[in-house]
Amino acid sequence: MSITAVEPWVEIPLRKFVEEARTVLGLLLHPSGQVIAQFGFVRAVDVMSACALAAAIHASAGELGKQLDGKPFRGLHHPGRDRQLFLAEAATPRGTFIFLTVFDQESSLGLVRLYFDEFCKSLAAAAPSAPRRVEPVLEERFEHELNRNLAALFGRE
Amino acid sequence: MKSPFASILATLTRQRGVRASLVVDENDGIVVDSNLQIGQDGDRVAALAASLYRKARLSARAARLGTATFMQLEAERGRICAAGRNDLVLVVVADPAANIGMIRVEMIKAAGGLP
Repeated sequence: MSITAVEPWVEIPLRKFVEEARTVLGLLLHPSGQVIAQFGFVRAVDVMSACALAAAIHASAGELGKQLDGKPFRGLHHPGRDRQLFLAEAATPRGTFIFLTVFDQESSLGLVRLYFDEFCKSLAAAAPSAPRRVEPVLEERFEHELNRNLAALFGRE
Repeated sequence: MKSPFASILATLTRQRGVRASLVVDENDGIVVDSNLQIGQDGDRVAALAASLYRKARLSARAARLGTATFMQLEAERGRICAAGRNDLVLVVVADPAANIGMIRVEMIKAAGGLP
């Protein structure tokens, strides 16, 4: 399966996750919606949509969790008829990322959760120590950077 | 509150050499109930054993061997046994020297009692 990453240190942990958890689609993104890495997607427009939706779901779930439980919900599982979705936070020294993956009957929620925990650990270990510059979620360069990342993943401008 | 599986799990865990016994959802690989010795990672065992059992069951069916009743994995430092019914799988982790014959009998009997 083709894995592409904007930040190279993400690639090895992500490849290991894909091989072990046997999921069919995956996205690692910044909470603002900027894509960091993907596997299984064919079109840039699908990545763009999935990133926007994942960021929105994560933000909504976080806020809902705060109101219901006093702290943000950090994980979400949605079982569909043929495919299931798992969305959760992955904390690293470079900041917190959102991870979205879709799996079918080749995998299971238990396996995805198990290997996601290992993915988080290897991602945190692989992350360069220099902290990422904290930027506003919506700034002038958002669209430019989004397009740059998509071009890096799918090899076109 | 005791779960409906507590007595099944207690019976299995009483067998010599049994380190863990679990009732697992076959499709999700999530623990429904468990009886674990200290140091056993129930979530890990549940996810992996349910996945193995499911694949073994589907393989048996694809090979036209009928319903899988019992699965056993022997490894260097232990054994994993699984027996299922409907969407639930009974999983036992045992020492290499455990009496698998007895465990197998108890597991098949217990699996028959799963809802």
